[in-house]
Amino acid sequence: MKNIFYITLMSTALILMGGLYSCTNLDETVYDTIPADQFGKKPAEINAIIAPIYKTLKSLWPGDIFLLSEQTGDMAITPTRIGGDWWDGGVHMVLKLHTWHARNGLINGAWNASMSGITTCNQIYATVEGTEMDENLKKQTLAEIRGIRAFWYYILIDYFGNAPLVADYESTELPGMSTRQQLYDFVIDELNDIKDVLRDDVSGESYGKFTQGAAYTLLAKMYLNAGVWTGTPNWQGVIDAADKVMSLDYIIEPNWKINFEVNNQVSKEIILPIAFGKADGGNHLHKRTLHYLDPIALGINVGTWNGVSAQPDYVKQFDDADLRKEGSFLIGPMIDPSTGQVLITAHARQLIHTVDFNIIPGTIREGMWGEVHQEEGARVNKWVFEKGLSNSDQENDFAIFRLADVYLMKAEALLRLNQNNAEATRLINEIRQRGFGNNSHNYTTATLDDLFLERRLELAWENTNRQDMIRFGRFLSPGYLRPSTSPAHLLLFPIPEAAWETNNNLVQNPGYPPF
Amino acid sequence: MEGKMTIFWKGMLFLSLWIISLGVFAQVITVRGTVTDANGEPLAGVTVLVQGTSTGTVTDVDGNFVLEGVSPSVTLDVSYVGMQGQVIPVNGRTTINVVLLDETELLDELVVVGYGEQRRREITGSVTNVTAENFNQGVTRDAADLLQGKVAGLQITTPSGDVTQNTRIRLRGVSTLQNDQGPFIVIDGVPGGDLQTVAPQDIESISVLKDASSAAIYGSRSAGGVILITTKRGSGLKPRISYDGYVAVSTIANKPDLLTADEWRSYAREHGSDASVYDKYGANTDWFDEITREGISQDHSLSLSGGGSNNNYRASFNYLQREGVVNDNDMERFNFRFQVQQRAINDRLRIGLTGTATMRDFREPNRRNFVLAYNMLPVYPVKLQDGEWFDTREYDQGNPVRNQTYNEDLKKNVHYYGSGDVLFNITDGLDIKTMLYKERQTEERSQYLNSETEAGRNDGGYALRENKIWDKNLMEWLLDYSTTFGSTDQHSLNAIAGYSWEENEYSFMKAANRNFTTDLLGANNLESGQGLRPNDVGSARNMSRLISFFGRAHYGYQSKYMVTATLRRDGSSKFGANHKWGTFPSVSAAWGISEEPFLNDVKWINDLKLRVGYGITGNQAGLDPYKTLQLYGTSGTYYDNGTWLTAYKISQNANPDLKWEETSMFNIGLDFYLFNERVNGTLEWYDKRTTDMLYTYRVPTPPYLHPDMMANVGDMKNTGVELALNIDAIRTRNFNWNTSITLAHNKNEITRLSNDLYTTSRIMVGDAWVRGGSGRTTHVIEEGYPVGQFYGPEFVRIDEDGKYVFRNKEGEEVNSVTAEDYTYIGSAQPDLTFGWNNQFTYKNWDLSFFFRGTVGNDVLNMGRMTYGHPGYLIGANALNDPLVDQLKVVPEYSSLYVEDASHIRLDNMALGYTFNTTGINWLERARIYATGQNLFVLTGYKGLDPEVDENRNNGLAPGVEDREYYPKSRTFSVGINLTF
Repeated sequence: MKNIFYITLMSTALILMGGLYSCTNLDETVYDTIPADQFGKKPAEINAIIAPIYKTLKSLWPGDIFLLSEQTGDMAITPTRIGGDWWDGGVHMVLKLHTWHARNGLINGAWNASMSGITTCNQIYATVEGTEMDENLKKQTLAEIRGIRAFWYYILIDYFGNAPLVADYESTELPGMSTRQQLYDFVIDELNDIKDVLRDDVSGESYGKFTQGAAYTLLAKMYLNAGVWTGTPNWQGVIDAADKVMSLDYIIEPNWKINFEVNNQVSKEIILPIAFGKADGGNHLHKRTLHYLDPIALGINVGTWNGVSAQPDYVKQFDDADLRKEGSFLIGPMIDPSTGQVLITAHARQLIHTVDFNIIPGTIREGMWGEVHQEEGARVNKWVFEKGLSNSDQENDFAIFRLADVYLMKAEALLRLNQNNAEATRLINEIRQRGFGNNSHNYTTATLDDLFLERRLELAWENTNRQDMIRFGRFLSPGYLRPSTSPAHLLLFPIPEAAWETNNNLVQNPGYPPF
Repeated sequence: MEGKMTIFWKGMLFLSLWIISLGVFAQVITVRGTVTDANGEPLAGVTVLVQGTSTGTVTDVDGNFVLEGVSPSVTLDVSYVGMQGQVIPVNGRTTINVVLLDETELLDELVVVGYGEQRRREITGSVTNVTAENFNQGVTRDAADLLQGKVAGLQITTPSGDVTQNTRIRLRGVSTLQNDQGPFIVIDGVPGGDLQTVAPQDIESISVLKDASSAAIYGSRSAGGVILITTKRGSGLKPRISYDGYVAVSTIANKPDLLTADEWRSYAREHGSDASVYDKYGANTDWFDEITREGISQDHSLSLSGGGSNNNYRASFNYLQREGVVNDNDMERFNFRFQVQQRAINDRLRIGLTGTATMRDFREPNRRNFVLAYNMLPVYPVKLQDGEWFDTREYDQGNPVRNQTYNEDLKKNVHYYGSGDVLFNITDGLDIKTMLYKERQTEERSQYLNSETEAGRNDGGYALRENKIWDKNLMEWLLDYSTTFGSTDQHSLNAIAGYSWEENEYSFMKAANRNFTTDLLGANNLESGQGLRPNDVGSARNMSRLISFFGRAHYGYQSKYMVTATLRRDGSSKFGANHKWGTFPSVSAAWGISEEPFLNDVKWINDLKLRVGYGITGNQAGLDPYKTLQLYGTSGTYYDNGTWLTAYKISQNANPDLKWEETSMFNIGLDFYLFNERVNGTLEWYDKRTTDMLYTYRVPTPPYLHPDMMANVGDMKNTGVELALNIDAIRTRNFNWNTSITLAHNKNEITRLSNDLYTTSRIMVGDAWVRGGSGRTTHVIEEGYPVGQFYGPEFVRIDEDGKYVFRNKEGEEVNSVTAEDYTYIGSAQPDLTFGWNNQFTYKNWDLSFFFRGTVGNDVLNMGRMTYGHPGYLIGANALNDPLVDQLKVVPEYSSLYVEDASHIRLDNMALGYTFNTTGINWLERARIYATGQNLFVLTGYKGLDPEVDENRNNGLAPGVEDREYYPKSRTFSVGINLTF
């Protein structure tokens, strides 16, 4: 009896011990993702690893940063529609009325997008730096990453002024604040460091990459706003950088609309695009702007949201002869092609997009802000709606930088320096002539005001409104729905409270209640 | 990969070798003994059977029996009419004296506990056992339906009327922020089961392990409690065939009160609106009537069981078909279950095989149709006069009936598993048992959205096929040792030790396409679509492994003093490198007070037992595989020189410190049987503390790449009191009335959300989306408050301008408030949950009715918030609610819509008649019955139903009746039970 017991016990013990390793082996077999140390060896893999730096640009437009740029200035508005659509707790109203605070979700979104862009660049920089590859290619790749990172710091400098300066991925310390000047110096240094390492071709291969053209355009943008951001203007810097860009193979496309077509990657005017694809998504501007029934009239099949429109006064500065008016705004009756009749909204009104808004009596929310009818407001019409588009985002790319902007930047610098007005006028006229389709609206001697107007006509919906208005000293002035001058601290957005909650080292911008 | 398969097969190999080697050690003995009643009087004619065989004998006039040639490891079944049967393991003894108790004495029943059975009298932890006769009747899908309201502290809620949706089970409150999965399910000893795989008719009993001391043997998966399901088995006595069947009809219990066509017309008239653009069809449509129906259900269950001298078997088949009250919702389920046990080597070896298959075809409803039915105007027709469908592209509108008619979303789920278990009696009282188990579940989804319908029109038709496979391999070894010692065997000891190895694998693939020339092919010819996108195809695969060592020791002294200790060590591949193994101990003790001499004379106390237990359990349900690793995953595509290439990105902030959540629970309980056992019950108090709660915390970017990261940070506390009381109020020859009550109070509180690394005092959760109300949250997760805490503006009244008046933080009445003014405006957690059951029998008739409900919980009436305002009238419909006349502003979340949802529901009522079959030798039992379910609800809540989905938003924003809420049904059924 005892024997049996021991034999069994021993054999059981042997079984357990024999398989002891496999009995306690808890290694994971990873199937659908790749352990980080096993990836990034081959060129194609490295290419795929770098890709996310460009994908970060998708959060620049037409999302929160777009709304912060165009709705705090005088370009765009997302009005509260009858019944309350788009009220959303007043998140859009405060942008227009300049009454935002540190808890605004759009401001938080803009901050997160920039920070995420920077950290993604830092991580990929660290990865590529530690990868064995061709030294020249490596140098150029690292320069591209630094370029995108510099771009995101440029956004932070523009919108928030002060922010943490982190260029090292390995550090896990919670960063503190750097000043606007420090960030500015960092970006200038970075750009000067990389600008001549980057590729300078204007080709299918370089499209969508951070090229020499992009670096010099960004440098021009930095110098253009240097007066606002650092107190020391650098107009000559703008001219020099712009000249460099203009010396590359970019052209002012004869057909303005090429820049906004479905397949606008063929444009040689585009210097730095966000490459959008239907499959990957991201360009949802059609959903954001079109009325629910507009797709019927436009021949697309997409559920739309009836949101962002143009501010009336902005549309009204366009000359009717300017092709860019219809090229930028969707105005007028929307016709159902099956009946030939104007579509009818769910409030029993004809779907006619008007330039003006009429606040419905008794719906005032705050100040002059109230509800408007669904169909009111000029809609975005700049990026061509692809016929038959079916339940997806748009294919059209967005040009973060394009040559027309560079022309106008150089013209502005020349005008600011009171130098070579003829050259400035020529640059402006080249843009203007294309806009009108003829030279009968050309200036003989352009002024700074003409330049400012031209920027507005050319660059509607293109993320320049707020920055331009600040530079021209008009951002705080009374405007549509906003009868009084805004306090100066609003030239910067507040550091979001949500960001501070995760990092107590952040310090609130001046003028806003401290954390 | 290789290592993984090796261990499974290695186990198989050893197992078979080992079984072969056992044949050598066979041995037999003779067992004798006397059977007496509680007063020591001998009982003649008592059947003593070797369990699972037909070997047996009856006692003589002096109550003596002799059984020759039996194995020392067998178990004896001792039974006598009017007495409660006993199951006695021989454990090598040659003399066994048995005391049979009156049938009412339940205390010696064997109750299933983790990895074994215990006599009720000996149990030291908190275990509630419910057997078949106490199950809920009527239309039931699974064990949860059977238990609803029966166990104090076990809250089972029906989230909606969707017949494909599972009930939500919570034991003693929420104890995680990671989508609380409720108790861990163990079916016939197999851990991690799925309730769907067991037909209710196959269930013999259900044990609920409520406290940590009883659950801790299941280690890192037991923090939510454990439910042990034991299925029926064949007995060696005689073959038996049973048939159970019913048919049922369900109707919508409550539908929203929307404006009718006439009410809408008079509203338009009164408000001077031009109705003519809409009202041109002369229609009068109740869209909720159009999308709902009377749902017919049926269930047929057939089982056969029996056995021979060394074996037993049971096979069963169950067919359940249910139609939801919404047109596009139904399910059909086939359950097969087969069990066989064979003894060999003089009954020392027992081999059992189990195979089950569950096949389900089901269609989940498209809940978007509720939104459409709310919004569509009652003056719109379903079809135009020429027979064409009416439709509109207006926001949140479209023809829901057309959606239901042409769109299909069918899932076919097959779930099968088989297990083989071998038990060998090594020596007196020592058994070794092993089990090998293989499970596979597959689910195929086939969805087609017709190009003409609201759901499919933007895609020009959308077809999706999806396949999922879940695999599970399990191996368990168990040593079980029982003995008694001392002069009168007053000491009893039972100890077990075990090892468990489990591997799970999941894989998934899908393919979709869009833009179809014709809708005729449905989802059966994906290649015919013309709108394929790269992310229309997808696939995934992952695995995890769990390895455990566990043991338990139970010591008892004369049923007076009992102590149990358990220990489990769990290692999981899902845990981070720094915490691969966790230890889960428990200890509990019980004092049989009634066994003490000083209570011997107190006749009205039959039994009184005090139990105290403490243990540590874990939860890892919220932890997905690979969470602790630094990984590259795909991240969409990027543009590169004219083509789109796949991008790769570090997919998460890896956290090598991730581990299980840990819950410690202290439990103290009193079990009592009084007045000749006519009153019995349990009173319990517990204190349950969860630490290292998993949550995806927001982290700063930089330094972190991603803005969130899963970590073990927070703490939570649940304390509560439970009472279960069962009274045989009337017990006569012809008429009996039994009434039972369960009451449970639980207080939940989040006690900590931050540590050195992650600081958060308050997390806003829950979406209260209404048109124009984006970005609002409904609940707050905050230290000092429970999960399910509503947080928002305090509503005072609606002023004469139709605006809300709120109270701000200064206490003033204002029209608009900011986040600083928000306050705590209700809790989804009830103060009290209760169930009250009554059973009457009169001669052959039986009647039962069962109430259950809650007190003190709140529900956010999103339906009223979304549709109870005039903003989109007359272009969209609204509720017939006073708010439509009063409000002039966009609906805004506030305490106005957070309503007291205390309620009492007549959940179940059943009337049955059992035929007298004594004269019919081929028929053992025949019963017919009728039941009604969800007959009425008494509540002050204004929405459709005060009981809503607990798991909403991963369980963090419970207590919300959503705007696409699927109303519940009221069901009547008639059925028959036959046993041959």
